[in-house]
Amino acid sequence: MDRALYIAMSGAKQNVVSQTAHSNNLANASTTGFRSDYTQSRAQPVFGDHFPSRAFAMAERPASDFRQGPLQETGRQMDVAIEGPGWFVVQGADGEEAYTRAGDLSVDPQGRLMNARGLQIMGDGGPIIIPPFETIEFAKDGTISIRPQGEGAEAVAEVVQIRLVNPDGKTLEKGTDGLFRIRGRQPGDPGANVDPNMSVVSGFVEGSNVNAVTELTQVLAMNRQYEMQIKLMKAADENGAAATQLLSAQ
Amino acid sequence: MHTALWVSKSGLEAQDLALTVVSNNLANVSTTGFKKDRPVFEDLLYQIQRQPGANSSADTRLPSGLQVGTGVRTAGTQKVFTTGSMQPTDQPLDMAVNGRGFFQIQMPDGTLSYTRDGTFHINAEGTIVNVNGYVLEPQIDIPELTNQLTISKDGIVQATLFGEVAPQELGQIDLVDFINPAGLQSTGGNLYKETAASGAPNVGVAANDGFGAIEQGALENSNVEVVEELVKMITVQRAYEMNSKVVSAADQMLQFLTQNT
Repeated sequence: MDRALYIAMSGAKQNVVSQTAHSNNLANASTTGFRSDYTQSRAQPVFGDHFPSRAFAMAERPASDFRQGPLQETGRQMDVAIEGPGWFVVQGADGEEAYTRAGDLSVDPQGRLMNARGLQIMGDGGPIIIPPFETIEFAKDGTISIRPQGEGAEAVAEVVQIRLVNPDGKTLEKGTDGLFRIRGRQPGDPGANVDPNMSVVSGFVEGSNVNAVTELTQVLAMNRQYEMQIKLMKAADENGAAATQLLSAQ
Repeated sequence: MHTALWVSKSGLEAQDLALTVVSNNLANVSTTGFKKDRPVFEDLLYQIQRQPGANSSADTRLPSGLQVGTGVRTAGTQKVFTTGSMQPTDQPLDMAVNGRGFFQIQMPDGTLSYTRDGTFHINAEGTIVNVNGYVLEPQIDIPELTNQLTISKDGIVQATLFGEVAPQELGQIDLVDFINPAGLQSTGGNLYKETAASGAPNVGVAANDGFGAIEQGALENSNVEVVEELVKMITVQRAYEMNSKVVSAADQMLQFLTQNT
């Protein structure tokens, strides 16, 4: 059997995978703080007890796009967006620190500061707890100051500073829950260092940084590439049929 | 089947819900005391199809793996409790809370609901009720032959009767506040119910202890911004179209496959 058929099949299969990745980006075009995923393909030679003459296609997600998404004005005091690179630190489901750009914050009845996904925001000394307040302000460096309930403007007090970090993008990896983590970090290891140069802006949320045009174009390009793979499978099939015909004519 | 079909279906569902929220906000652009909603989206789980760092040969490793997302999920809708603009109406029973706080409404089943809508009326018994006829808590009865009704900023209701000079105090309207108003449950009719997420109501006196002042003769407008909603509608519509384009692209691929093999 001609192995071209299998090579074309692997190409078609990987086209489907990479189209799924692009359609996931497109489906998250309105997700707050979403970071678009890149896809790439690699030629992977087949090793074994033979000469590696065949190379199959392999789709990969090498990294995510860390460019800034659009800042959308909401006017809500507790919506906080990061300007420029950097991350909010949240407590993941495993209790370990994870990074996100979604800063649509609110306070639960226990005073815990969390984003709209219900992930607790971390400060200098662990998860942030805010006492009952009347007004809340987020300074440019992430310092939270509140006017405590029932007190006048003279009682405005700094409570805590949001932990803002900026680890090297090359070390970050998106987990299965969509949060970013430092690759290879073990539980208990110190997390990313606080970066004093980061700035946040209150009253805004950061939209998704998905470029819908690019993603849609990629989806359509994958569509056509897939058709070419099927054509190749068809050609391999026809070659096989022609060979059978020639051989059986003898 | 083609996974992209399901991924883009989740995108279509999310945009569909976003449009419902936008249209509900727009429909309530003139509703007194209405607070706009916004949908909250989150990315669904990622599936690891190939682990980064897996061996690509006996002594080489893949530098990056393959993790494919499975689409988008609506985590919920969130009420945005920014204050709407004040509109003077000069009606003595129209009230607006200028700042934090909710009026309490006694529901027919005896429970309390909370509202920012200060359009009040008097029923046949002289009790202050909201537009649906539910009684304002604490109950305040207005005597017959009332000439002037004044409500102070801290909620004290006074009536001056015909032929009398000194006003008579009828009661005081309390306000309540919640640590997380966004956690309140909307029940329609401009009313909210307490939930575990909102925390327990904290009763207090208007214009004191951080509560807003009660402004008589004014109403709070809806906080919906028409321009913002229309811009959202444009993005929702285009995102919907692009997701449906992916569905048709995936469909064409499957069609091509069945027709050419």
